[in-house]
Amino acid sequence: MNGKPRHVMGLLPISLLLVVLSPLILMPLAAIYIFAVGGGLDAFVRALSNPDAQFALRFSLLIASATALINAILGTFAAYVLSKYRFRGREALTVIVNLPVAIPTVVVGTSLLLLWGPIGLLGQLLDPLGIQPMFAPMGVLLAHLFVTFPYMLGAIKPVLDELEVTYEEASYTIGANRWQTFRFVLLPALRGGLFSGTLLTFAHSLGEFGATVMVSGNLRLRTQTAPLYIFSQFEAGNLEAANAVAAVLATLSFVLFFGLLRFTQLRRERTA
Amino acid sequence: MSIVLTELTRRFDDVPVVNHISLEIRDGELFVLLGGSGSGKSTLLRLIAGLLEPDEGRIELDGKDVTWLPPQARGVGFVFQNYSIFRHMTAAQNIEFGLRIRGVPKANRSQRVEELLELVGLSGLGARYPDQLSGGQQQRVALARALAYHPAVLLLDEPFGALDVKIRVQMRQSLKEIQRRLKVTTILVTHDQEEAFELGDRVGVIERGHLIEVGSPEALYHYPRTEFVATFIGGGNVLVGRAIAGQIQLGSVTLPLPANAPRHDEGAPVRILFRPESVLLRAEPFDARCDIHVLGQGQIRERVFAGSLQRLRLEVEGLRGVRPVAPLPVYGQHTTLIEAVQPSEEGHLDCYAPGQRLWLGIQTYHVLEPTGLKILICAGESPDMNAAAEYGCRLAQAAQGPATLLAVAESDSAIALARDRVEELRQRWLVQLPRLETRVRQGAIADEILLEAQEGHYELVVLGRTPTPHQMDLEPVARHLLEWIELPVLLVPQPRSPIERMLICTAAGEPGKSDVLFGGRLARRLGAFVTVLHVLRSQAPQEERARAERHLRRAQASLEALGVRCQIKVKEEPALQHILSEAESGDYDLIVIGAPGPRAPYQFRQSDMATQIITSTTRPVLVVPLVE
Repeated sequence: MNGKPRHVMGLLPISLLLVVLSPLILMPLAAIYIFAVGGGLDAFVRALSNPDAQFALRFSLLIASATALINAILGTFAAYVLSKYRFRGREALTVIVNLPVAIPTVVVGTSLLLLWGPIGLLGQLLDPLGIQPMFAPMGVLLAHLFVTFPYMLGAIKPVLDELEVTYEEASYTIGANRWQTFRFVLLPALRGGLFSGTLLTFAHSLGEFGATVMVSGNLRLRTQTAPLYIFSQFEAGNLEAANAVAAVLATLSFVLFFGLLRFTQLRRERTA
Repeated sequence: MSIVLTELTRRFDDVPVVNHISLEIRDGELFVLLGGSGSGKSTLLRLIAGLLEPDEGRIELDGKDVTWLPPQARGVGFVFQNYSIFRHMTAAQNIEFGLRIRGVPKANRSQRVEELLELVGLSGLGARYPDQLSGGQQQRVALARALAYHPAVLLLDEPFGALDVKIRVQMRQSLKEIQRRLKVTTILVTHDQEEAFELGDRVGVIERGHLIEVGSPEALYHYPRTEFVATFIGGGNVLVGRAIAGQIQLGSVTLPLPANAPRHDEGAPVRILFRPESVLLRAEPFDARCDIHVLGQGQIRERVFAGSLQRLRLEVEGLRGVRPVAPLPVYGQHTTLIEAVQPSEEGHLDCYAPGQRLWLGIQTYHVLEPTGLKILICAGESPDMNAAAEYGCRLAQAAQGPATLLAVAESDSAIALARDRVEELRQRWLVQLPRLETRVRQGAIADEILLEAQEGHYELVVLGRTPTPHQMDLEPVARHLLEWIELPVLLVPQPRSPIERMLICTAAGEPGKSDVLFGGRLARRLGAFVTVLHVLRSQAPQEERARAERHLRRAQASLEALGVRCQIKVKEEPALQHILSEAESGDYDLIVIGAPGPRAPYQFRQSDMATQIITSTTRPVLVVPLVE
């Protein structure tokens, strides 16, 4: 007699949360898939085999891979320096490299245009030489590196910070030089952070829109990423084309996300 | 010599953490560095390993100067307190890491790993990851890893500090065995005296960056040179007596000053050490024929049962007023307690119940080396009154004795300010006086200075003095110091930098000798030149002149015996005028004058010579109570 009301009372907050979350998150996600396959599988495949869509997806994957790779190296290097070296302005630099998280991506795009664009600070010097980083794949890559930089740093620096100094010192006294110490002692300890950081960077790069739309010029078959393609197709009224690519992007994101989740769970179990 | 350190110094923010340490460690020796936290022992070890660079000095390993070599090139094995074995490598991979780096072929590596695993008692556990090993096992892996590449020296930084007591004892045993077998030169750092004694072939005691003493555990325990080592190592009784005519006066007890004891100036404090186990307790008086130094009769105040032993604390009447260094007197304690131990035999418990009266004797005692002049420096009330503090610090630096900087706060709210003041001064003198102590007391200035001078058993008090003649708050202090506790007082009215020339005035009338002796002790330490000025009464009778002459000859002889350069001058009255003009013309940095002790009816008033000199000169004046 006592158990039942409590049971109901216990379920109430859960149901309430579901009711609130449904229109906010769950139903929009479902809508993508419903619309994507609404016209039948044929229409879905046809929409995807469109050369523009194909290019956009491939270009996005390429940029995301390049961004993840470059930032993995750059972020590790930055984390190592910021964590292991004591120098003036280290605190300030740590704040600055984390800034991209807080800046609206459109502003990032603008700032890049003002630097590298044809009339930008550096761009106007490069323009006569025939070098135009903006409205080109290079511009998209620059924008993505900028925007995703903090994710890599955030995944690696805490791990390095937590490693005792004596960990490296032990390696030095044993006879390993700085590079060997990094390669054999630090890097293996960073594996987890490196993996999750790379995945996070890849996912963010795949979905980046604000900065990309500014610096790419949205040129089809040249600089159009998948999110830009979806946006353009929507604007043109091609809902099916937009939805098909959106469904692929969403699925990719899900896979990445669950991979990350599973990985962190495994690590937590191992360390526990 | 496997390890030779020469004048090694390392500072952090200008604070010397390792301070001019020189040390030689023999091949195959297990040397233990013993010190409290913050003593600089780990820093020294890290300097040897190359994990830190020294500011000064030289490090030689196996005859090679490695001072500026990186750790990789030194070939040392280092074991950290937190193990620091690599978590992503198995025990075996950890151990072979040094060999892998050196390009040793796989087969040889595996063989060496097996050897080492067996050596440290971990056979069969090579495939385990660190998180599958206990703390003790991890430390064994760390030890094997450090030994794998046959290091020239093995350095261990509190290796057993993170382990629980039982494991720690096992690990000590293993380490000792392994070290004996491999004969690898080893330095182990620890704060644990038991560990140091058990492991060390020799032990070095380090405190505030100074290597205070080095010796075998037995030598350090029985024959320490310094008070610090005597009290840091083991329990013990350290009492302060006085050197009087070749003997040690300890309250009403007199002990002979052993022939091999370090040299003590006449009247200087003598610190003696005897361990609790060398205290003999008897219900009956000691037989006068046996070779025992009787301390007198005492009463048991405290008994603590400690397993096989019982620790006793006894109050001894004859030692009343003797200052104990150890056991540390508790706050408000006026009596001198002696610590003794007795075996806990059943049935004998009643003999040692608190309240029992027993005779105390000691078979042996050990005399510590004199510390040098112990100086109390009173900081002025404001930064512009720091002449005395500056002068006192300079004096302490030259005297190389222990010095304490005292500030008195008259109210609660002034304590923080007083603390800042002494701290600022301490920081300023940190390099020259790394062992300068500071103390802040609260209360009336005069009372607190007097109390501190009495409690700390100083030999000299340095006071500031404002040049105004009617300044009343420090004058009574000086008077009380001189009259009540017979302590020399140095008054410094104005800043003065060098202390090279000293004028000792033996006043008209009865010539004293303690002013000459004390001034001489000071001059010896300062390397100062001394002029002894004697002023005769005008038309003094011939016999008084002859006595003065004898006195001056003796003064000169005792100064020369101390190794002090000196000259003698004799003048006729008026004394004050001659003293002042001599002080000016010779530009003396310090005037020393005797003042009659309390037994002579003495008035520290306008009329007496000391007061007259103090009020008429801006030079520092040292007033020495004349005790015969």
